[in-house]
Amino acid sequence: MKPNLEVEIAGIKLKNPVMTASGTFGSGFEYSNFVDLSRLGAIVTKGVTLKEQSGNPPPRIHETACGMLNSIGLQNKGVENFITEDLKFLGKFDTPVIVNVAGRTVEEYVKVAEKLSEHDAVKGLELNISCPNVKAGGLAFGSDVEFAIKLTSTVRKATKLPLIVKLSPNVGNIEEIARGVENAGADAVSLINTLLGMAIDIESFEPQLANIVGGLSGPAIKPVAVEMIWRVSNVINIPIIGMGGIANYRDAIEFFLAGASAIAIGTANFTNPEITIKVVEKLEEFLKIKGIKNILDIVGQVKI
Amino acid sequence: MVHTKAKVLSKEEVVDNIFKLRFFCPEIASSVAPGQFVHVECGKDKSFILRRPFSVHRQINKDVFEILFQVVGKGTSSLAEMEIGCRLSVIGPLGNGFEVSNDCKSNLLIAGGIGVAPLVFLAEKLLSAEIDFDMLIGCINCKKVIPFELQNNIRDRVYYATDDGSLGFEGTTADLLLEYLRQNGKPSKIFACGPEPMLKRVALIAGQNEISCFLSLEERMACGVGACLSCVCKTKSGYKRVCADGPIFNASDIIWD
Ligand SMILES: Cc1cc2nc3c(=O)[nH]c(=O)nc-3n(C[C@H](O)[C@H](O)[C@H](O)COP(=O)(O)OP(=O)(O)OC[C@H]3O[C@@H](n4cnc5c(N)ncnc54)[C@H](O)[C@@H]3O)c2cc1C
Ligand SMILES: Cc1cc2nc3c(=O)[nH]c(=O)nc-3n(C[C@H](O)[C@H](O)[C@H](O)COP(=O)(O)O)c2cc1C
Ligand code: FES
Repeated sequence: MKPNLEVEIAGIKLKNPVMTASGTFGSGFEYSNFVDLSRLGAIVTKGVTLKEQSGNPPPRIHETACGMLNSIGLQNKGVENFITEDLKFLGKFDTPVIVNVAGRTVEEYVKVAEKLSEHDAVKGLELNISCPNVKAGGLAFGSDVEFAIKLTSTVRKATKLPLIVKLSPNVGNIEEIARGVENAGADAVSLINTLLGMAIDIESFEPQLANIVGGLSGPAIKPVAVEMIWRVSNVINIPIIGMGGIANYRDAIEFFLAGASAIAIGTANFTNPEITIKVVEKLEEFLKIKGIKNILDIVGQVKI
Repeated sequence: MVHTKAKVLSKEEVVDNIFKLRFFCPEIASSVAPGQFVHVECGKDKSFILRRPFSVHRQINKDVFEILFQVVGKGTSSLAEMEIGCRLSVIGPLGNGFEVSNDCKSNLLIAGGIGVAPLVFLAEKLLSAEIDFDMLIGCINCKKVIPFELQNNIRDRVYYATDDGSLGFEGTTADLLLEYLRQNGKPSKIFACGPEPMLKRVALIAGQNEISCFLSLEERMACGVGACLSCVCKTKSGYKRVCADGPIFNASDIIWD
């Protein structure tokens, strides 16, 4: 019998638990050359802000051992253009679209959420709370439990769409933030966003990134992600979307065992543009071989 | 664009540290145009995760293409160790390519160092379309000259510049361009590829002389297909993706640092 890969996250029904990680898959258009977008569990778009944002100067990336640093700086055309261009394209596929939302103030997040809520093609919002809060001296929303709660509860009131809050690993106590956003009305959390990092060119003595620092992603961060998911899953009751360094189905299984109900693939798309579909196929095969009927049967099943 | 396997047919170190790889890959070879590139998985070693971009150097026939590359780091070192017969994961053809038109009476191709790679493909296309061109090639000295094959003999159209004057003109590629303009007047179009300082000067000279000029730019890439916004360069209309909006840009659009 075919194992059941269907999951429901934040009230969104997914045909399988494999999604794309924000910022690594554009709005799907470029990857539609390689994968049938209709076979994905969900498409999570790049970060969308209220107004067009130009992003950081290049160089924006630097490859590191088993990973990479990026400082794209949320380059995007703004929510209006996103709706008329990207969303129009994505609406053609039988796959839920989750829009990653970013902002510099609570009001900006709210406005973007309101605009997106008017469109049926949007099935959920993912709040990127790793953005700097300009009204709080640039400290990230996600690094302070009070900011994170205020942001989540305010956006919660502004939209009926399922709300996913994407947690930053660059915090002292991620459980506290996870619990905070759960109580503030989040329907699910996703983790982890990139880890803050830096690299220096020893010839020029200059930072490798024009932005000086960036976010580390890829296989290098996988154990950090697994540990954080495991820890967070012990303290919240809403579902977790796990991400951070997943490069094959074996990595994905670890995330389910640690407590994730769905997973997202980011940096690995760069190595293999068909990786998302390959993970879907291999997950199914794995469950079949193991005689496991439902993917949900392994969620959180790490034996401690 | 496709994601496929390309089989290594041959490998040659054409000059110190510069390698030529020939691939059997009909999906890409049949449709690639000069100036386009391929995004290549450079090794099975999972410690580096990103592909490396290389211009297509020559289209041998509808099944076979070549790349020409310089070993500069771990990706290119690993690529230089590939054995004949092995199959590499390749995405391509990528990018916009050079735009050539039949009404261009005289074209000037300018290469600095390994920048000769995509220009040989362009030269072959111009030759087969019977469009006139000259070529300026810059390198450090006569020992570093990268040999390349062209189907027809066009040696009398190629001018060299070396830093020490050991071959051709003594000076930089941009200095040779000034000398060329003095002697031959203005070409209709310039196509250039090479290190950034060279491109910057070529762009400046082209601008001052009102010559239409197209540059092949390089930036660090992750996806290679336009999705991640890693590879941007600054233009008059904002940041543009080198992989998808380029790698060929009109020199007059580029904003240099
Ligand atoms: C469109 C395009 C076409 C190119 N065509 C050729 C070609 O035909 N022949 C050739 O020899 N080289 C070419 N290059 C440059 C080539 O991609 C780099 O030399 C190569 O990526 C270096 O990899 P590495 O691992 O050996 O070096 P490392 O320095 O170890 O690489 C570290 C990281 O930086 C990136 N990187 C380093 N140098 C460059 C560069 N100059 N441009 C872009 N990314 C870089 C690498 O891809 C990698 O992600 C091209 C670059 C671009 C963007
Ligand atoms: C190039 C790049 C751009 C990203 N952009 C965003 C973004 O806009 N919003 C966001 O919430 N996360 C963004 N991320 C983080 C990823 O969605 C993901 O959380 C992280 O990279 C870890 O997963 P991975 O190791 O599978 O890439 C980005 C990551 C990369 C590599
Ligand atoms: S490398 Fe991803 S957009 Fe160019």
